Amino acid sequence: MNFFEQFADKLYSTFIEGARWTYLTDGLKTTLIVTFFAVIVGVILGFLIAVIRSTHDKTGKLKILNFLAKVYLTVIRGTPVVVQLLIIYFVIFASVNIDKIFVAVLAFGLNSAAYVAEIVRSGIMSIDNGQFEAGASLGLNYPRTMIYIIMPQAFRNILPALANEFIVLLKETSVAGYIALTDLTKGGDIIRSATYEAFLPLIAVALIYLIMVMILSGLVSKLERRLAKSDRG
Amino acid sequence: MIEVKELHKHFGDLHILKGITTKIEQGEKVVIIGPSGSGKSTFLRCLNRLEQPTGGQILFNGEDLTAMKDAQLYAVRERMGMVFQHFHLFPHLTIKKNITLAPVKLGLMTQAEADAKADVLLTKVGLSDKADQYPNQLSGGQKQRIAIARALAMNPEVMLFDEPTSALDPEMVGEVLELMRELAEEGMTMVVVTHEMGFAREVASRVIFMDDGKIMEENEPQEFFTNPQNPRLKEFLSKVL
Repeated sequence: MNFFEQFADKLYSTFIEGARWTYLTDGLKTTLIVTFFAVIVGVILGFLIAVIRSTHDKTGKLKILNFLAKVYLTVIRGTPVVVQLLIIYFVIFASVNIDKIFVAVLAFGLNSAAYVAEIVRSGIMSIDNGQFEAGASLGLNYPRTMIYIIMPQAFRNILPALANEFIVLLKETSVAGYIALTDLTKGGDIIRSATYEAFLPLIAVALIYLIMVMILSGLVSKLERRLAKSDRG
Repeated sequence: MIEVKELHKHFGDLHILKGITTKIEQGEKVVIIGPSGSGKSTFLRCLNRLEQPTGGQILFNGEDLTAMKDAQLYAVRERMGMVFQHFHLFPHLTIKKNITLAPVKLGLMTQAEADAKADVLLTKVGLSDKADQYPNQLSGGQKQRIAIARALAMNPEVMLFDEPTSALDPEMVGEVLELMRELAEEGMTMVVVTHEMGFAREVASRVIFMDDGKIMEENEPQEFFTNPQNPRLKEFLSKVL
């Protein structure tokens, strides 16, 4: 057999035989579902934490909530996401039969929230104090100033960093296999162990991640250009 | 209208205001001058409690601002307009939205009423054609005129100006002062911190000289500029005039 025949053979046994390609498509579906809902959890929780933290920094209020938020950030950012995933699955939900996708969404969402929180907080703190004062001088209280004046500007400033965090999150979900969830990475690995052929399935997995990241990055830079344009320098 | 009693302000160990006592009556145009670091801006910012005084009282129509709960304080701020040195327009909103945001969000006007009011104000400040542009497209003088319009949209009882022309190119100072002069002629109560001596002389009903956290001298402008008593004021005037 020449090289090309050999290669075609491997392609066949890796992807076609036994419909093995469905491991990749099903895995991809799981990866996308987990990422999508984890982003939602991360954004909502992250914004909440950021508002608590920056309100405390600006006004000195919410001392207890700020303390809890700080503990949360320290723990989440100070431990690996895989360990957090394992603890949530094998410790917190040890005694209940629970959907693994739900566990993964929770773990990655809680993890991402810590990073989103710090991004959003930096966005809020980057807004000139004069904007807060202008709001206050017009009789707008702190929540109103935050909602109508600060957040829209902060959101614009942090959009690229936020989008970047989602790209990181997409790749981080590749450790979902630790709780035996068949995501894209695990799907490729299953093919590898079935065919004893590592190169093709793993390269295929890597390529799929790469393409998704490139598409997302492209969207982000498009967005950035749009924002720069509407900045009316 | 505004009564200030023994006002003190500390920033940590720094004693910025050392017992200010004065009264601002309805319709008065009070201009505050003084060297930088004299506490004049801090004093102005205490009047709507952007700075929290550390001692003394500020009575606005008889209500003590220094002892107020937040909700009351915001209600008082609705009636006190403020114009900043660096404008602080909202860059993400159009000029018109800058003007209508506060009255609409505070439930004082409907969007339609606020829009109508904004049109009137934009005509007044001579910038009707800029309604749909963004702050960054405007010159400094135009920004400051919009900032004044934004404050006026709340129908304030008094306007506080914190060095409104200090950040402007020289050729734009005139248009802002002209607008402030018009406002004064209409009877608005004004408190102005400024370095514009010409404005103080022509528009003020009273000029206050502050130095080292204290009011050193206050008088009607004619007497203030031609016959100053305080030695620090004499020295200051000899340098700036």
